[in-house]
Amino acid sequence: MASILQKLITPLFSGPPEPPRNKVTVVGVGQVGMACAVSILLKELADELALVDVVEDKLKGEMMDLQHGSLFLKTPKIVASKDYSVTANSRIVVVTAGVRQQEGESRLNLVQRNVNIFKHIVPQIVRYSPDCTIIVVSNPVDVLTYVTWKLSGLPKHRVIGSGTNLDSARFRFLMADKLGIHASSFNGWILGEHGDTSVPVWSGTNVAGVNLQTLNPEIGTDCDKENWQETHKMVVNSAYEVIRLKGYTNWAIGLSVADLTESLMKNLNRIHPVSTMVKGMYGISEEVYLSLPCVLNGGGVASVINMTLTDEEVAQLQASANTLWDIQKDLRDI
Amino acid sequence: MSTQEKLLGRVMEEAPVGSRNKVTVVGVGMVGMASAVSVLLKDLCDELALVDVMEDKLKGEAMDLQHGALFLKTHKIVADKDYSVTANSKVVVVTAGARQQEGESRLNLVQRNVNIFKFIIPNIVKYSPNCILLVVSNPVAVWSGVNVAGVSLQKLNPKMGAEDDGERWKEVHKKVVDGAYEVIRLKGYTSWAIGMSVADLVESITKNLHRVHPVSTLVQGMHGVKDEVFLSVPCVLGSSGLTDVVHMTLKPEEEQQLMKSAETLWGVQKELTL
Repeated sequence: MASILQKLITPLFSGPPEPPRNKVTVVGVGQVGMACAVSILLKELADELALVDVVEDKLKGEMMDLQHGSLFLKTPKIVASKDYSVTANSRIVVVTAGVRQQEGESRLNLVQRNVNIFKHIVPQIVRYSPDCTIIVVSNPVDVLTYVTWKLSGLPKHRVIGSGTNLDSARFRFLMADKLGIHASSFNGWILGEHGDTSVPVWSGTNVAGVNLQTLNPEIGTDCDKENWQETHKMVVNSAYEVIRLKGYTNWAIGLSVADLTESLMKNLNRIHPVSTMVKGMYGISEEVYLSLPCVLNGGGVASVINMTLTDEEVAQLQASANTLWDIQKDLRDI
Repeated sequence: MSTQEKLLGRVMEEAPVGSRNKVTVVGVGMVGMASAVSVLLKDLCDELALVDVMEDKLKGEAMDLQHGALFLKTHKIVADKDYSVTANSKVVVVTAGARQQEGESRLNLVQRNVNIFKFIIPNIVKYSPNCILLVVSNPVAVWSGVNVAGVSLQKLNPKMGAEDDGERWKEVHKKVVDGAYEVIRLKGYTSWAIGMSVADLVESITKNLHRVHPVSTLVQGMHGVKDEVFLSVPCVLGSSGLTDVVHMTLKPEEEQQLMKSAETLWGVQKELTL
């Protein structure tokens, strides 16, 4: 007796199922991982989504919850497993795994805790998706992007850290809000280390090409009567503040990762402030990852913009590089 | 002159226009935030308001969303314990209340939540008297209507959904019913699917789409139901709210199940202190 399937549907083409063309994997199904996953799904960026984690029940629950939303989505295949074979053929892998920053804990304190986890994760990712681009989100992101690059053996243009993409987004929101305009209409870049020592490039801040530093030469300095540097301080404190209030941050970082994913997936050549290998630039002689404006396309980081920085800003980048190298040189087994 | 005054020359003299498509989400737990994020990512509103009693959590969630402003098209995201922040909403999504515990039936939640609602609902209506209220709550599978491209599956397999169906389609419905309990057991709660489905409903309302959705409405007088109960039937949703109900042609067994649900619900409702 023929089943409903046989009675209803006549196949036209019988062959092995098509492999995915736009597969995204998210490693880690905590708050950040799931915010990235949902943002990517709702922006319709992937034709397959894979989730990986070590906590099996939570992983299965999250996968099922997303699958139950399939009616409202355009990603027909959502899979999950502890086993990395489920991630095979990914174009982009978002790494959010690792332990979370505690209230008051600086990002740098997390390091060795997360390195050991990455030693397990990264080789498996590359084994199943040797051509992927990896976006590292876990903190401290600049160090962990370096660690990922080392452990993966991938060329440097295919390992990106989410870096100051979020800091810049927060900066643009806060500055734009003060001026009564939309964040996307305020142009400003925060570069360097994600977190406490990030560098706001005041000389580049502008609206419609009108340079704010030209309007207010004191902008960002201690002498500035309008105290614009307070806005940068708010950006640095943002994560700590949101963590204090709700226990963690996830929505903004999820949205910012989806934005990067979009540029990579759609080969857009848009410029984003992300963490990339900066040895040889700005007098930095060590292998460290810091955020600079990068052109992102289907191959990864195509190029880096040569920012015009003041001596002071260059000095800040170099100081960050030194701090990061100080930590990196003591890391074991990478 | 401040930097702002040097940068921007004012053109419009009057006060800025208020929002036209405001959505409020009451409750910033997992379901509320999943709903909020789905609504934001679908660009459904020009203002989003969040309300809750837990002030720190509320402020934290609002800040986290605001920090994503660069990637969104909703220019105003506000939050407060005070319901004045919800004024002039077109749609108010109510997700507040106690969460279903593992093994707890949906009906057990009820009296716990009634007392919360006695505070929330009047406050919502006070500030948005013309809003459409979407209550996210915690359901009869109608097999005769199941079709692919208009081809009725039950005509292909007349036993579909019955006990003696060789293909065991009834298990699909069972999986739906058990679905929520399973996800709760695995991850502690459900959020994403319900959040996306809420955004789907909000879309029909804000864009006046007149799409048909299975949502809960007063079914007194339909399908043999005598009491004032709300059950899910296919309804037409638009900017005025729920405008029409689709009359389903139910088989006797299906009507029986619906009436039985109505009786169970009325059994609980009549014991509630409102």
